[in-house]
Amino acid sequence: MSVSHCGDFKETYRDDMKVFQTPFVRVAVGLFVLLLYTTPLFSSNYVTSTMTTIAIAVIGALGINIVTGFTGQISLGQGAFMGVGAFSCSYFMRVAHLPFWVAMPAAGLTAAAIGMIFGLPSARLKGLYLAIATLAAQFILQYVFMHLDAVTGGSNGIPSPPPEIGSFAFDGDRSKYYLTLTMAIGAVAFTTNLLRSRNGRAFIAVRDHHLSAEIMGVNLFKYRLISFSVSAFYAGIAGSLWGVYTGYISAEHFMIDESIKYLAMIIIGGLGSVIGSILGAIFMTLLPQALTVGTGALASIFPKIGFLIMSFKDGVFGIIIILFLIFEPDGLAHRWRMIKAYWKLYPFSY
Amino acid sequence: MKRFTASIALAAMALLAGPLSAQDIVIGNLADITGGTGDVGKPYADGIKAYTDYINSAGGINGKKIKLLQQDYAYKIPEALALYKKFKDQDKVVAIQGWGSGDTEALKEQVAKDQIPYWSASYSAHLKDPTKSPYNFFCAPDYSTALRAGLKYIKDNWKEKRKPKVAFIYPDVGYGKAPIPGGKAYATELGFEIVGEENVDLKALEATTQLLNIKKKAPDFAWIGGTKVSTSVILKDAKKLGLTTKFFGNIWSADEGMPKLAAGAEEGYMVVIGAALYGDKVPGMKTIEKVTGGQPQVSHWIRGWVSMMTMCEVLKIADKNKELTGPGIRKYAEQLKNFDTQGLTAPITYSSTDHRPFMSVILAQFVGGKMVKKATIELPRKQEWLGL
Repeated sequence: MSVSHCGDFKETYRDDMKVFQTPFVRVAVGLFVLLLYTTPLFSSNYVTSTMTTIAIAVIGALGINIVTGFTGQISLGQGAFMGVGAFSCSYFMRVAHLPFWVAMPAAGLTAAAIGMIFGLPSARLKGLYLAIATLAAQFILQYVFMHLDAVTGGSNGIPSPPPEIGSFAFDGDRSKYYLTLTMAIGAVAFTTNLLRSRNGRAFIAVRDHHLSAEIMGVNLFKYRLISFSVSAFYAGIAGSLWGVYTGYISAEHFMIDESIKYLAMIIIGGLGSVIGSILGAIFMTLLPQALTVGTGALASIFPKIGFLIMSFKDGVFGIIIILFLIFEPDGLAHRWRMIKAYWKLYPFSY
Repeated sequence: MKRFTASIALAAMALLAGPLSAQDIVIGNLADITGGTGDVGKPYADGIKAYTDYINSAGGINGKKIKLLQQDYAYKIPEALALYKKFKDQDKVVAIQGWGSGDTEALKEQVAKDQIPYWSASYSAHLKDPTKSPYNFFCAPDYSTALRAGLKYIKDNWKEKRKPKVAFIYPDVGYGKAPIPGGKAYATELGFEIVGEENVDLKALEATTQLLNIKKKAPDFAWIGGTKVSTSVILKDAKKLGLTTKFFGNIWSADEGMPKLAAGAEEGYMVVIGAALYGDKVPGMKTIEKVTGGQPQVSHWIRGWVSMMTMCEVLKIADKNKELTGPGIRKYAEQLKNFDTQGLTAPITYSSTDHRPFMSVILAQFVGGKMVKKATIELPRKQEWLGL
């Protein structure tokens, strides 16, 4: 194990910008990725498919963290942008007969273009007002999903064909997992690097103080639009993958609660943090499932009051979120940093 | 003596082997207890549970007990998908009792691929077309059939010379929109004049704007394709605005609890019901009355009961033929012919080309704060109606 400094003693910007601060981190991340890829070999399909949903959520959460966490623009339309991605990916594959590998980026770009259109109000609006404008995006898109029957199948929904390489179709739990996991790792790597670039620093400048940013030569409107479209691009990719995961997409999935779920993910995980997006996505995907399984198990032990126990689920969910916000106001990412710092300085923490 | 000992030994073995070989049959149940449709989802799930307990106490499926895994997915599709995976991979269920359009639509490709028969309470007509959804079944008239039956009843009782005028009020969601195209076509065919269409949201708290439009067009009849709460809102506002239009509605638009919600505005409202009402004089109701200890249950409860009853019947046949697998259950379900639900519904028939259980629809009406049976409409099993 390598020895590291107990404070910040970097002498060059290059050092400061390193993704992997020490060789140990590099090895640890490598091992973790290896673990992620090998998990399906010794776990059940249920675990694998749960991890698939987490990977999709990670991509979506990274997207909304770019616009909300890094650029400081509240977006309540992430769910709808995912829908745009899912429906357009399926449309490109079914109607234009494009392979998934072309359709998915195209769907991402479609979502990005639409995200950019709905990002336009950010030129004039800030804070809550912008939030309401993006909320309008959510509702307009919801309406389109329900009524653009040719593309979305209207209220019946539409099938989403599986991706193929040659004759191999990604229609099993494992192959879908590997696909989404690879995409999620790509998204994490891309986001991490984006934040080290001029664009990423401009986003943060816009968030921290828009006047100073503008004085420093950051075109506010341009970077807000870029962040909206990048965020929607992520949502579009996540939506395409969601289509692959379920095989069938219906408008009912991309409603306002989906958008709020993603916002909750980054608030719980940590605004403006890549690791926060990941932790938030894991937390918000696992908690409802854990509660469902937990209350279901309790209900089978006490069959008489089974449904009563089940109905506590939403309440417990709410309480856990509230407790989190009280005791972890900076999100899970902060807790993660504390844990890291503890072990870094162990046993001589000060 | 030797033979006697041998037979004793055999009997003992049979006794010992009995509980061992009689494995449980695991059935998954995706229920909405706490979600958006929990008000009707809970009684439905209760009905399923009650029948399972009943059949288990009455000998089970050829001696095998049913292990029913009831899970609340709160009408959220991701949770339904996750639970489905759990049912499939961990619990190894052979069949599933599902619930609403959200989960049923999202899962219909997967259950077809995984060959897991899926009985649901989403009665969209396209789920009855086995070419599109081979593993989906249900035990109630589909929404389109319900609307057609209502129209036919009205037309049959129409005495005036002019064409009856009809309007459609429904929420802008899958459940609301599903029967409208088929219903409109049939209304024109029957000689109705279609005068208007309005959307009232499922969560609407008032419907004055839409009803003022309806009032202007003065239809004689209007279809309500909503759920209990939105229907009560429409009926109350219609009464307030003095509409003379007579309303009739879909299977989820009202139940026995309606008078409490609508406070008198429901008088004369006609609703499609999928099964017998509690207390009806049919053989199947005796068992229900015994099981519930005379505690009245809403019609959704009884439909849950019938859904499980039908599934159990198929399980019995499949088990007898040693084909207690997904494809086996589907095969024997599709051979089900005039299965008698002891009068709780019309006899159920499925075939490999048609999953419509029956074509008869019961209409009930609210009279003096009570839901009473009004008529039973028998529609022809037309091929062109399948899936529409």
